[in-house]
Amino acid sequence: MTATIDISSMDEPVIVITRIFDAPRELVWTAITDPKHVALWYGGPGFTNPVCEMDLRPGGAWHHVMQAPNGMQFTINSVFEEIVAPQRLVWRTIKDPNRNPAPPTSVNTITLEERGAQTKWTLVARFDSITERDVTARMGFAQMISMGLERMAEHLKTL
Amino acid sequence: MVEYTMRLDPLSSTLFALADPTRRGLLARLANGDATVTDLAMPYDMSLAAISKHLKVLESAGLISRGRDAQWRPCHLEAGPLLEVFEWLESYQRFWDRSLDSLAEHLKVMQKRKPKKP
Repeated sequence: MTATIDISSMDEPVIVITRIFDAPRELVWTAITDPKHVALWYGGPGFTNPVCEMDLRPGGAWHHVMQAPNGMQFTINSVFEEIVAPQRLVWRTIKDPNRNPAPPTSVNTITLEERGAQTKWTLVARFDSITERDVTARMGFAQMISMGLERMAEHLKTL
Repeated sequence: MVEYTMRLDPLSSTLFALADPTRRGLLARLANGDATVTDLAMPYDMSLAAISKHLKVLESAGLISRGRDAQWRPCHLEAGPLLEVFEWLESYQRFWDRSLDSLAEHLKVMQKRKPKKP
């Protein structure tokens, strides 16, 4: 898998993740949008999804509870913004009031591209740093986070 | 540049602070040890006032602290918030890594069920 956190001239902090699947696009679309299927892979090995409700239309809710192998449950609520089958899915995560610190919210765009018999899956997660109700205007960001920060992180751990 | 006063949750504050290359550069410099505003401004073609604005953002995000000596107020890197955001980024990447591995396996199962098109 490729997970790139790159510098570009975007306005907001963005994470881009890509993967190629050996499956036709329609099948990948079903696997990521049909809750019966999503519940079977979301979170990875050892994880289950006791709740996976997806109302697949603009403004529709995605109510999700993921359970880790140790039994811990994570609630993730989102709202769909755009659905263009079989190529584009956009949803916005909602701030979890029960977690402190709560994970940052984001607008997530998945695009599926046909590559012969394969499908390229791309996630662009755009992090919305505006989370407080009393903010009345959006502020632009300069760049995305750089992979160079990983080296800094390693250095920081030695401090 | 218009400035807005915002209150952000700590992780979002950190992400915002890191979203600027000058601020990342300032943090990288401070990772090598404390420095004054003058020291920090040296590599940049930017006024001290502009550097100070960046330092204010970093300070609001808890990424740096400032010494109290009125004569020289050295900036000090506070590793905690940065480590938190890196840990979160790592866990985010691990989540997708695991999930996409499972999705790949699941797609194989789905294809076994379906007869292949001629």
